[in-house]
Amino acid sequence: MDDLRLVERDVDTQDIKIAARKVQVFYGDTHAIRDVDVDILDKTVTAFIGPSGCGKSTFLRCLNRMNDTIDVARVEGDIHLDGEDIYDAKVDPVQLRAKVGMVFQKPNPFPKSIYDNVAYGPKIHGLAKNKAELDEIVETALRRAALWDEAKDRLDEPGTGLSGGQQQRLCIARAVATEPEVLLMDEPCSALDPIATAQVEELIDELRQNYAVVIVTHSMQQAARVSQKTAFFHLGYLVEYDETGKIFTNPEDSRTESYISGKIG
Amino acid sequence: MPVLWILAIVLVVALVGFVLGRQRALSSGQGDIRNLHSLPSYYGYNAALFGLVPAVLVLAVWTVVQPLVVQNSVIDLIPESAVEDAGNLSLVMSDVRRVADGLDVAVAEGAMSAEMAASLRTDFTDVRTRLGNVGVALGSDVTQDTLRVAQRYRELTASGNVLKTIVVLGLSLGLTGLALLRTSAQFRARNVVEQGVLLLLLAAACIAILTTLGIVLSLIFNTIEFFQLYRWTDFFFGTTWSPSFGGGSELGIIPLLWGTLYISLIALLVAVPIGLFSAVYLSEYASPRFRSIAKPLLEVLAGIPTIVYGLFALLTVGPLLVSVFGDNGTLGLGWMQGGTAVMTAGLVMGIMLIPFVSSLSDDIINAVPQAMRDGSLGLGATHSETVRQVILPAALPGIVGAILLAASRAIGETMIVVLGAGAAARLDLNPFEAMTTVTAKIVSQLTGDTDFTSPEALVAFALGMTLFVITLGLNVFALYIVRKYREQYE
Ligand SMILES: Nc1ncnc2c1ncn2[C@@H]1O[C@H](COP(=O)(O)OP(=O)(O)O)[C@@H](O)[C@H]1O
Ligand SMILES: [Mg+2]
Repeated sequence: MDDLRLVERDVDTQDIKIAARKVQVFYGDTHAIRDVDVDILDKTVTAFIGPSGCGKSTFLRCLNRMNDTIDVARVEGDIHLDGEDIYDAKVDPVQLRAKVGMVFQKPNPFPKSIYDNVAYGPKIHGLAKNKAELDEIVETALRRAALWDEAKDRLDEPGTGLSGGQQQRLCIARAVATEPEVLLMDEPCSALDPIATAQVEELIDELRQNYAVVIVTHSMQQAARVSQKTAFFHLGYLVEYDETGKIFTNPEDSRTESYISGKIG
Repeated sequence: MPVLWILAIVLVVALVGFVLGRQRALSSGQGDIRNLHSLPSYYGYNAALFGLVPAVLVLAVWTVVQPLVVQNSVIDLIPESAVEDAGNLSLVMSDVRRVADGLDVAVAEGAMSAEMAASLRTDFTDVRTRLGNVGVALGSDVTQDTLRVAQRYRELTASGNVLKTIVVLGLSLGLTGLALLRTSAQFRARNVVEQGVLLLLLAAACIAILTTLGIVLSLIFNTIEFFQLYRWTDFFFGTTWSPSFGGGSELGIIPLLWGTLYISLIALLVAVPIGLFSAVYLSEYASPRFRSIAKPLLEVLAGIPTIVYGLFALLTVGPLLVSVFGDNGTLGLGWMQGGTAVMTAGLVMGIMLIPFVSSLSDDIINAVPQAMRDGSLGLGATHSETVRQVILPAALPGIVGAILLAASRAIGETMIVVLGAGAAARLDLNPFEAMTTVTAKIVSQLTGDTDFTSPEALVAFALGMTLFVITLGLNVFALYIVRKYREQYE
């Protein structure tokens, strides 16, 4: 792992954005997540790594209650966002998802124009008073997703007509446009080529200025490049959670060491 | 030998061919499958296909063609006078066939010897009573001419049958033998069988295409014949429909097209919202349990024969509407005079189309990728916002296609219209009036004794052709749209 380019590791803040305690997830009889405790910091990129099937996506989807849309899924334990229990009966999962945005593994632009893709969330949540404001929101979101220059002349064209990397940045712009506080990304680069991946990674590092970003990734290099904190999952357990530099250079658990040196996978 | 027997023998030959082919291949490979080019059963199929397919094909063609050939060769024996007496040639020929069949029956029942049947003369025997005794009733006394032709007909048929038996069985045995001779370990039976299967499939496809083509051609020829008797401008632009077989009919298609479109419109106004909403409910909201019960139930609706819907229109919906909108109805409007009306037929046809629209739309909505739903929900949209703003727009082209297909069914529907909408061709805006459609008029122009040379009967083909062109256009357009939509996600 010598080739890992470890970026500046200093975590800017210690504010806890999301605190999870004793989280269990069941799919029917399958126990997919066991006893996970984790504190996700604000303005920090947190990476979830681990062999496939270990429950990274499942845990990520707990954080914005996307598991509610799966009939067989059942979540136990406490997850607090800014001190408020998100599984409390008072909390509207729809409102929660506006606050905790999500970007998926495969780019999934809606079959609408680029403009309407980005404007979708703001329109639903009534974030713009008039068309001029909406235009501004769309432009800002596209700029933040580093897509404005490529897309500004073709805002009326369908989002599905963009290249894979552009589509994924469009999905990020779409998520950013609703002004979330946390951004969840489930393997956002797995369908992208190396250049598009590099662009998205750069973007993630910028997004850290404003959000807590949680990224699931298959690539340890990627985790090392973009994240400040890393959590290693294995068979539904959170094995180790620490500063990214420490996880990759000096892990405490032998399973973590096996995984990052390529023995589990 | 009867056709069924020949067929049975050919089947047995093929079966034996299969067994022998398999054995021969095995023994030529010293009993080890690995020495063979193909699996042993392929050698069997090879022999069986050779024994079966050509023989059966020849049998089928021969059975169809032989009567035509025999008929053609006896036609010369019929004297001019007989044709004049009967009125036309085909009547004489059907007499001849009846007498010939009668003689066959008589011989089969032992009432006549075969020689006697062949040498019978009307001057010595009363053929009509003799045949009447064995249960074959003839309309008139048999003339000597007819009898002679019938006897010749029997002779030719009999020798044709013998020849057929020999050729078919010979072909079957010969080709099986040939296939067996060719069977050896190196013989590429697998490839030959592959070719054979390909030919069979191709033949099936050709039959399907040719029959369709035949139907269309017969429509076209009859339509051309109609337009030689009746001006096409009067047909397409005439606003009156009043056929009278005595002559002087007005055959304008406009009132019929109007009825067709009006009823279809009402049907779609009923079927599209209900069908679409139920599809959205079933695919997006319903629990799997509810869905597993409701979907088959909806599809049962699609399996009800249209005549049953017609009865429902006639006996239930019509009277119900009259009791509301009729002269003494609860609303006291007096809009509706009788139970048969555009509204009656339209409502019932709409009910018939609901499962059609809903099951097609359901499939289309289900084909919208889950990622699309996740994307929208992940942005904090509610379920119904997701359906309205993402799923329905994504599925729209497919849904439009489904609606067009439903429309083409509505336009072609007959039974519900005959029973529910009445028979009066009328250009009217009141949906509570009786009107009629193109299909219903096709039925009424062709039922009863019809003379297929009069424009009043031939107009049915022109109507059918018009309908065919309209529904074909709709179907092609719908398929084009559906296909375009499919490409979007593949
Ligand atoms: N919708 C589902 N229904 C049932 N089981 C699921 C579902 N999604 C995931 N699982 C199971 O949960 C476990 C964790 O899956 P996942 O979170 O997708 O893993 P990862 O993202 O780490 O590859 C796996 O064993 C998987 O089979
Ligand atoms: Mg995953």
